[in-house]
Amino acid sequence: MSAAVTLRPEAKKKAAMSRASKDSVIDVQHLVKVYGGRGQEEIKAVNDVSFSVGEGEFFGFLGPNGAGKTTVIRIITTLLAKTSGSVHVAGLDVERDGLDIRRMIGYTGQSIGVDGELTGRENLWLIGRLYHMPNSLVDERVEELLEVLQLKDAADRRAYTYSGGMRRRLDLGAGLVHHPRVLFLDEPTTGLDPQTRAAVWEYLRRLHREEKMTIFLTTQYMEEADQLCQRIAIIDLGKIVAEGSPAELKAAIGADIITVRITRDEAFEQSRNRALEIARTVSGVSRASIFDEGVSAYTADGGATLLEVLRRLDAEKVPVHQVALAHPTLDEVFLQHTGRQMRVEEVKPMSRSFGRRRR
Amino acid sequence: MVTDVGHAQRVIIGTRDEESSGGVLTEVGLVTWRSLVKLTRTPVLLFFSLFMPLIWLVMFSQTFGTVFSSATSGGLPGGPAATPLPYDYVAVLLPGITVMTAIQSASQSGFGMVADLESGFMDKFFVAPIRRSSVLAGKLLADGLRMAAQAGIILGIAAILTLFGWRIPFATGVMGAVLIMLLAAAFGVAFSGLSNTVALRTKNTESTMMVSFSLTFPLLFLSTAMLPKALLPSWVQSFSTVNPVSYMADAARALILTGFDWTAIGNAFLAILAFGIVLNGLAIMAFRAQGK
Repeated sequence: MSAAVTLRPEAKKKAAMSRASKDSVIDVQHLVKVYGGRGQEEIKAVNDVSFSVGEGEFFGFLGPNGAGKTTVIRIITTLLAKTSGSVHVAGLDVERDGLDIRRMIGYTGQSIGVDGELTGRENLWLIGRLYHMPNSLVDERVEELLEVLQLKDAADRRAYTYSGGMRRRLDLGAGLVHHPRVLFLDEPTTGLDPQTRAAVWEYLRRLHREEKMTIFLTTQYMEEADQLCQRIAIIDLGKIVAEGSPAELKAAIGADIITVRITRDEAFEQSRNRALEIARTVSGVSRASIFDEGVSAYTADGGATLLEVLRRLDAEKVPVHQVALAHPTLDEVFLQHTGRQMRVEEVKPMSRSFGRRRR
Repeated sequence: MVTDVGHAQRVIIGTRDEESSGGVLTEVGLVTWRSLVKLTRTPVLLFFSLFMPLIWLVMFSQTFGTVFSSATSGGLPGGPAATPLPYDYVAVLLPGITVMTAIQSASQSGFGMVADLESGFMDKFFVAPIRRSSVLAGKLLADGLRMAAQAGIILGIAAILTLFGWRIPFATGVMGAVLIMLLAAAFGVAFSGLSNTVALRTKNTESTMMVSFSLTFPLLFLSTAMLPKALLPSWVQSFSTVNPVSYMADAARALILTGFDWTAIGNAFLAILAFGIVLNGLAIMAFRAQGK
């Protein structure tokens, strides 16, 4: 049997006609979304975004609040209409073939959409049945998911009694009952405690590895994108500013980072300036700058340069409090591409108007 | 084409849908099921939705009962003279109370909509491969069933009151009661189009409540729901003829006081149909516009 059997005949034809590349499951070209208009102020939430995601890929959209992540994910999942550009999922057009696309995707939104009055089991069962799965198959899948998501014991309790982590897991399960070909996750671990976050990560890795599921995830956590995604697009102010694997993105910075913290005494400012001068003159250091606690220096070969920096600092009697050598993280990547430090905001905005809650 | 065993399960799901003929009915049924389960899980809400109407039924009929009997001691104006009416004011008021209950429930119809939009649960419906109309239809069906049940409970309590000497004729018996329940459900579903439209356009419970509640009392009192037309001031009489509440109240009142007045019943359903199409048409448009 072939995967294409999932599509209706007319959809198959459309898929064949589509110009979307054969290997990409998600294909977004020149996507633009403008909110407002008709008297209101226009806001360009997504500004000419293009990317594609291959079958079986784990792809991440990384960006701060308001970058446009949610808008993009809602457009691809047919929840929101685009302003212009083209968006295809498995070769199907989001505007024409919404029903066929929805049949093969799973979606877990930012706000946890479980029904508190229904039990965990009923929540999953209802969603499964909405996908027109036969009853027996739904029951089977629901039991399986309750097991995997460790909700078995609470399965018959109403969901409002669940903890935040349990609700998040249940919500994730609701996106998986029908065993989607592509899974969309909008900030799946925002607001979770570290243990639950790790558990969700582990489960997503398994889905990707064992079930070969294509996963599209948005996140504002560098670590999450780094840990999970094979490929990342960094999005800021409605535009993609960088794209590649985490390793590629970090390598593009081309540097290790030496951080020297200076002892806090009355001569701190002076010592720090001295340290900066020294760092700049050490061969191998491409760039050095001060920060509130000391000096950081970028270099191609951290190990060798660190030693030289330390020798010089010691020779000049600069009081060093602490030294660290770090490989670049996505934080530095983000900083480099946007000129800003990425801040994670957990606070939800007050306005909860539907479909444009977050941009 | 790629052969992929991992997709076998998806294939089953995909084709099953095309084979099943009752697709839409299943979708509507599931949405209805969910609403009804929620309703039974919070019986307290059901109780309080009946609490006010019942207070009204008892208080109003007691307070205004004597006024009504003295006003009608010579019969209804324009009616056969000088015969005291063979029923109490409560029998006149009862149909009005069933309308009132339906309106009240209809006003709240949009609340659930706002809650689902806010919680993100509505996204689950929207991202599932079902028609949006199924979601609205399922919700309205659940609302209708709830309204019919409420009307039934009120009529049942009124029937019990007759055992204590309250004079309510129930001229058409159980069949008439069933018809009133149907009327109440149809009326309520039609009227909930307003609440749902406001809810979907504003996404705000307060606005939804304000619009619906501010209309409830004018609609009730500028109609024949509280008093027969003959006892209303002439300007209210004129307004009541364009007020759908009157048609519903007149049909229900005839069923309780006199008998099957098919003209009144037909008019009631026509009136309900007319404003139901308008209000729910607006609601459907607002629903379709979500995310657009």
